[in-house]
Amino acid sequence: MSQLYPEIEKWAVPQAALAKTVAAVLPTGLAGRETGVFWLGERSTIATVSALVMPSGQGVEEHPEQWKVSPAVYGAISLWAKPKHLALLAIAHIHLPGVPVALSWADRNLSVQVPGILAIVIGNGGADRDHSQWSWNVYNRNEYRKMTPPQLGDRIDITPNGRLSTWRADASGVYEVEI
Amino acid sequence: MTEQLTEEMQTPDTHRTHEVRVTVEYLPATKPFHHEYQPAATIGTVQAEAMSFFGVKDHKERDDYKFFLEFHGQRLTNLSETLHQLLGEKREAEFHLVEQITPGGMSK
Repeated sequence: MSQLYPEIEKWAVPQAALAKTVAAVLPTGLAGRETGVFWLGERSTIATVSALVMPSGQGVEEHPEQWKVSPAVYGAISLWAKPKHLALLAIAHIHLPGVPVALSWADRNLSVQVPGILAIVIGNGGADRDHSQWSWNVYNRNEYRKMTPPQLGDRIDITPNGRLSTWRADASGVYEVEI
Repeated sequence: MTEQLTEEMQTPDTHRTHEVRVTVEYLPATKPFHHEYQPAATIGTVQAEAMSFFGVKDHKERDDYKFFLEFHGQRLTNLSETLHQLLGEKREAEFHLVEQITPGGMSK
């Protein structure tokens, strides 16, 4: 793998990232709309998630079967993240009740496609709090592959005391928030 | 003599300033794209070479799902615009490569 996208063997995910992801997405899920969050952090052999960014507001569309984040929001996040040496490590989004907890065709083909990035699907509109019930997928060799339970155990390290900051992003910028 | 010397000393710098130092950042990547272009180079050229560097491409289905360069918060859609037209006399610019869509789009 290139210097651009260093190979990731494991992801260190603070326990707080799991809980705060649910806290961030559940209200929108209960309202019957899709949404999601970005996990950012240092990208290296062990990629450490250290920031949760919730796109919301100007430049973000949340609909029952669609969640869109505009280029302006991506740009705002990029502008904020790069000086902090943060890279996008994962995109976690919800599927509403009745929708399979798995990547859709669109999720597989129309989303961020770079080696090692995680795409996570949380079912039941974000009400599935058990992360082992989420769909964890990693992009590699030109496609997303679902991680099996043994792979999850080997490659996802949930750290009880890992540090995490939480942010809200829209087209105008990124702001620290309490989630 | 003084004028000639001055001219000779300035020539290398003058040549250097003809180039525009471009940086393109992409959120998932750990390193940016750096390249120097002539002011007449188009935004389309910069975008294409940055996308090639980052190994990404547009996806197309029922709608267009595209990458764009963003500059000072503005998406650049006129790919034939030159760096000179965009930047004037500035010789340095930082862009962000951004995507149009994220998971959840379209059909389930």
